Amino acid sequence: MNTNTAPNQPPLDRAAAAFGLAAAIAILFNTVLAWVKDVYDPLNRFMASLTGHHWTTHGLADLVVFAALGVIFLNTGVVDRISPNRLVALLVGAVILAVVGLAAWFVLV
Amino acid sequence: MSDVILLAHPAFGVFGILAAVWVFVEALNAREQNAARTRLAAWVVTVCIVTAWILGGYWYVHYYAPDKAIILKGPWPWAHTLFMETKEHLFFVPLMLALYLPFAVRDTLFSNKAARNMVLAVAALIVLSGLAVEGAGAVISHGVKVATVQTGVKGVE
Repeated sequence: MNTNTAPNQPPLDRAAAAFGLAAAIAILFNTVLAWVKDVYDPLNRFMASLTGHHWTTHGLADLVVFAALGVIFLNTGVVDRISPNRLVALLVGAVILAVVGLAAWFVLV
Repeated sequence: MSDVILLAHPAFGVFGILAAVWVFVEALNAREQNAARTRLAAWVVTVCIVTAWILGGYWYVHYYAPDKAIILKGPWPWAHTLFMETKEHLFFVPLMLALYLPFAVRDTLFSNKAARNMVLAVAALIVLSGLAVEGAGAVISHGVKVATVQTGVKGVE
């Protein structure tokens, strides 16, 4: 029995669930990419060489991850196995991790 | 032109935050009658935050370098090393959430509690992360000011 949903709780719209999960992963990807490019300068320079500035490439990479994963999740059954409440918790958790992770990184490193 | 872009960037950020508050209130009072208005508000959030991203990004890439040099020579170097470094990456959080919001409001919020909770959570996160980004922008701006004021005082002496 799924303990995260009430017995008669309707599921999220399929696109809402797919792109919700994609947003959570894109937010975590954004955080990890910020860490990696901060410690690995060749990646920073490579990203800058693609668009003229590492930050522009970073933003576009986030967009691609969000859109691509959203479409993939929409066309597969991945989100059908995640309860709506768990999806909300995943997204909120991803944002908290990103905020704390980014701020702590630039305080400590 | 640089100043117009610099001022328009946080202005659109504030408009996006206010629109997210609008979405939050509409979702709290979700009924069949306000479904279209909730979707409109969600699109306003998306348009405002994306505009803030494009304007802020253009200014950051083309005009920020001299300000960065001034900040790093001033008494608040952490306005760049901590606040700008965090802000330039944290900005993508409300951006991703704002891009997601139109998908989240597709559901019938008045009859689907989980969908309503998702919209409430996303709108609240846009407001909170947006305010954090706006606050960081204020600190960065003040970092330039205290550096130039210090230089000016030294110049007078």
